[in-house]
Amino acid sequence: MEVIVLFTLVIGLMLIGVPIAVSLGLSSMVVLLAFSDTSMASISAQLYNAMAGHYTLLAIPFFVLASSFMSTGGVAKRIIRFSVACVGHLRGGLAIAGVFACMLFAALSGSSPATVVAIGSIVIGAMVKAGYTKDFAAGVICNAGTLGILIPPSIVMVVYASATDVSVGRMFLAGVIPGIMAGTMLMITIYVMARFYNMPKGEWLGWGEVGASFADAFWGLMLIVIIMVGIYGIPGVTGAIFTPTEAAAVAAVYACVIALFVYRDMGPLKGRNGGRPLSLMRAPYALVTGFFHRDTRDTLLEAGKLTIMLMFIIANALILKHVLTDEQIPQQVANYMLAQGYGPITFLILVNIILLIGGQFMEPSGLIVIVAPLVFPIAIALGIDPIHLGIIMVVNMEIGMITPPVGLNLFVTSGIANMSMMRVVKAALPFLAVLFVFLIIITYVPIISTWLPTLIMGPELVVK
Amino acid sequence: MSGQSAYRPKGMLGQIVHDFEETAIALMLGVMTVLTFVNVILRYVFNSMVIWGLEVVLVLFAWLVLFGIAYGFKITSHLGVDAITNLANPRWKRIFALVSAAACLFYAMLLLKGAWDYWAPFAGLPETTGRWFPTGFNPATRDRAFFETDQVPMLGIFRFLEDLINQGETYAKLPRVVPYTMLPVAAALILLRLVQATIEIVQGKRDSLIVSHEAEDAVAEARAADMAVPGAR
Repeated sequence: MEVIVLFTLVIGLMLIGVPIAVSLGLSSMVVLLAFSDTSMASISAQLYNAMAGHYTLLAIPFFVLASSFMSTGGVAKRIIRFSVACVGHLRGGLAIAGVFACMLFAALSGSSPATVVAIGSIVIGAMVKAGYTKDFAAGVICNAGTLGILIPPSIVMVVYASATDVSVGRMFLAGVIPGIMAGTMLMITIYVMARFYNMPKGEWLGWGEVGASFADAFWGLMLIVIIMVGIYGIPGVTGAIFTPTEAAAVAAVYACVIALFVYRDMGPLKGRNGGRPLSLMRAPYALVTGFFHRDTRDTLLEAGKLTIMLMFIIANALILKHVLTDEQIPQQVANYMLAQGYGPITFLILVNIILLIGGQFMEPSGLIVIVAPLVFPIAIALGIDPIHLGIIMVVNMEIGMITPPVGLNLFVTSGIANMSMMRVVKAALPFLAVLFVFLIIITYVPIISTWLPTLIMGPELVVK
Repeated sequence: MSGQSAYRPKGMLGQIVHDFEETAIALMLGVMTVLTFVNVILRYVFNSMVIWGLEVVLVLFAWLVLFGIAYGFKITSHLGVDAITNLANPRWKRIFALVSAAACLFYAMLLLKGAWDYWAPFAGLPETTGRWFPTGFNPATRDRAFFETDQVPMLGIFRFLEDLINQGETYAKLPRVVPYTMLPVAAALILLRLVQATIEIVQGKRDSLIVSHEAEDAVAEARAADMAVPGAR
């Protein structure tokens, strides 16, 4: 009864245009006040503790900040140059380079829309100039951008880890192979299409350009090394150096320093009127003023705004989760499903369907907070690896991001390509099919997700 | 994603408040990042740490988000589903907007009551009675003003609290009331911004409480940037 009221309220409020966060929070408050003895005081305390009590979630603002500095600081531009130098000469090369660049940027940033904006705002225009159709260009980037949440670091994985108490480090590692696999599948699809439709190809610029562009992008790509070595250590040399949350903070500071003092595409050393950037030697005061510069403040603000938007939803989703656990819904659902004799295969199909439908309407992090506690106990009872379940959820969220009505990647792509939403939806369809095939593979071949984390961090201890 | 949004503050006071809000958000995030970073460096390089670092960072995290929610309502940056409302004719669209404004106001009001009730005992003040709506003050509220934070040192500027709410007893650590103060403040701000937004909807100056899509900022940014790709021809 309570649950029916709860979900009717959530969906009803959401559909008439109430912000997602308020829909989740208000419905939970009404149910808690009407049916339980929880007071408003303790609900408000939960809202406060959603931030102050969740060390894992603290990684979110830092990863968002690192990716903001990377986007404004010209790292995307250099990664694209490197990608074009590597694969631009193939048939359909610029499109393949776009996917490759998205993969690289995904390894720096934890968010999909951020990846689309950083790479898409440069590559889509360039592809149209090179003779591709705008629809093809938008479709490619819109899909490849979803890798942002699959290739570590990933905000959605942080949320999953926090909701289910699995290790963030393990989740990140689990995303590596699926991420590379999805990227490769997209690239192969593009290559086949390019041969078939005779799409343009670029020139091979020589190993010199590969080297030069790599050297230029080096400082940006180093961030991947810092995050990975920081979280996992170097085998045989050092153990883990910091927690994922600390890694995120270090990444943010590093990205800031690179953007301000090495690439100098923002801040006090930026060249005036498109001129060459100033040398730090000529303007040593920048070491101090850089951190208080208008550009730095704006980047911080931008990251702050995104953090607020995400955390407002997550915090309210946590209240809803509290209602569900109070009502013992996860156990009831688990008992019901086990009593029906569902095996892992049927269960995973159900999980996929729930997430695909939910993903249409909800922001990924909020949806994970709500769905993860529901399906997690069942998955454990059925002997499904929690890490594997997490990767399945993330891939579902990727698909949710490119399907209407709430598809963040669709919004962002329609914005940067200046196309209507429906046109982007159509353009993204052929590649969406690739992601569907990928989802099926990931769902039924758990070893793809679990092999790397088990290899590096040892087998997962499952607590029944 | 640029620092510009469609929101333009009105008048000098509006501009000052807007600048204050944006700077506060940027500053809180900046301090969180630097504190965490410094603690990592201290731990691995100097084998020491700022013991209150993590607790302060987590408090700032809560402050950033709570304070920012109201700002988000002001600049209409909260995410929602606009598929149905966009299909509706203007009359229905307006009705939907008014109903959702009412829902948000109800949310903010409940939140404000809850925030007060949670915070007040820590400040030595009475909580309100009533389950849904405040019906009066509860004189038998159990005083929690003596609760302190785990690690944060007591600051001189808060010494006045000792006489004010703690019967003159000294605080060894910062009292809990200080970090929790953001709760009622933020809830009141959210209510204020929502009342303003509702008035604008009634006046027809605003048509919803949600951003139609998150991309608007990104679009402006992408147009302004006009970056060329090296190696593409």
